[in-house]
Amino acid sequence: MTEAIRLDRVSLWRRTQEEFSYDLKRTVLNIFEGKYRQPIRKQILHEVSLTVIQGERLGLIGANGAGKSTLLKVICGILAPTSGTVRVRGAIAPLIELGVGFDPENSVLNNIIYYGVFLGFRRREMQRRAGEILEFAELRDYALVPLKGLSSGMKARLGFAIATQVEPEILILDEVMAVGDENFRRKSQKRLEQFWQHRHTTILTVSHNLDSIRDTCQRAIWLDRGKIRFIGDSREAIAQYLAETG
Amino acid sequence: MVAETPLNSLLRGGSRYLELVHILAERALTARYRGSILGVYWSVLSPVMMSAIYTGIFGRAFLSYYDNSYLRYALAVFTGIVVFNFFSGATSQALTAVVHNGGLLNKVKLPMSVFPVAIVVANCFQLVVGTLPLLAVLTLWQTGNPLLPLALLLPLLAVVAVCLGMGLLVSGLYVFFRDLPYFYEIMVAVLSIATPLFYPPEIIPERFGVVLSLNPLGVIIQVVRDIVLRGIVAWDQIAVALTAGGLTLLLGVVVFQTWRSHYMDML
Repeated sequence: MTEAIRLDRVSLWRRTQEEFSYDLKRTVLNIFEGKYRQPIRKQILHEVSLTVIQGERLGLIGANGAGKSTLLKVICGILAPTSGTVRVRGAIAPLIELGVGFDPENSVLNNIIYYGVFLGFRRREMQRRAGEILEFAELRDYALVPLKGLSSGMKARLGFAIATQVEPEILILDEVMAVGDENFRRKSQKRLEQFWQHRHTTILTVSHNLDSIRDTCQRAIWLDRGKIRFIGDSREAIAQYLAETG
Repeated sequence: MVAETPLNSLLRGGSRYLELVHILAERALTARYRGSILGVYWSVLSPVMMSAIYTGIFGRAFLSYYDNSYLRYALAVFTGIVVFNFFSGATSQALTAVVHNGGLLNKVKLPMSVFPVAIVVANCFQLVVGTLPLLAVLTLWQTGNPLLPLALLLPLLAVVAVCLGMGLLVSGLYVFFRDLPYFYEIMVAVLSIATPLFYPPEIIPERFGVVLSLNPLGVIIQVVRDIVLRGIVAWDQIAVALTAGGLTLLLGVVVFQTWRSHYMDML
């Protein structure tokens, strides 16, 4: 039983964007008029501690704005915690909602390579794997088409194909499971199963679809306004969450 | 799991950084030229036309500073505009680089500085493929010394350092101040007059000259002109240019890294 992710009393304070002027002219004028205030910070995560075992499937549930996505960002290393420590073993691949990080004017093939390098892979390796990715996404005939020429379903398939083809140790799924048509959904579901069973990939899922969390995750975390309210068996977590909100 | 030595992970981090810069620069260039690399030569057209106009208007007035040769004046203007356009293009495009990639930075962990750095690298590629060969040919034609075109690499290094530093600085500031492009445009316009592009530096009154000499582009352009027009490699000036470039780069890196932890809250 190896630890894949460990968070120790992680707290995060962020600047609230509404409070900030975003404006050089106004900031300078405010300083001259003596009205300048330090930007206000808000605590988003409160002393979150958790451990994820390698090969575990963990669900994150909670209301909008509870800090689920923020917690994932801290785990990915995108945000540094204000206090506390984060330890992660292995490569993380986030499954991104499509559009972000893709260049619509560029060819599908180039986008696959760029995207793979963003995720931490070598350019040469991505050139080698591009064929398989196109195959899985059922986009072989579209390799040289500009990305903007793909339908949204095709783009979703492509994103899933890349994130899973790069064989990460930890896969992050943030509300993106409802991709593609029924056929592709079944196919992607199958691939996730394989990942989890044969490669012991750790999978973190954020979803408002409680049924899918219940079906796929052994454990779940209920996050409420930046605090962990419950951590444990996913049925139990969902039951408690529903009891409070319902 | 193999334990990683610090040196090992540093090397790996470095090669990942370079690879990211590589693909981002490539992406910027393919977006700009859409498969036709000849598009680079459009970038030569603008300084050629500007030099012709300046020569037509100011040529006669400044003739005595250029050995009574219209050609030498035109070449001086051309070298100045090439260096300045590189600076203004690279830094203005780098300015928006971090913010434009905010969506990506919110999804994947990436070293943020790769975005402005890649823009400067893309512009540098454009300069090296487009205008630099022309400058090399001009040097050869004016001086007849086949080694001198190589000396152009030194001022190139200095101007790239200035652009990297300035690019990091403004791209970091833009995260906080979204009206910065407006101010930066004004600053570049002021700088285009304050830098001796189309007038000889000798006409600047001495009192004023002290302020203007703080502009690193001035000394870089002077070095380029000395090489192209006079066949002189002014080592002392090159040392000043490289030092100025190094200091600008240092400033940019320090400021960018100091504020880095705040960027993600604003993207």
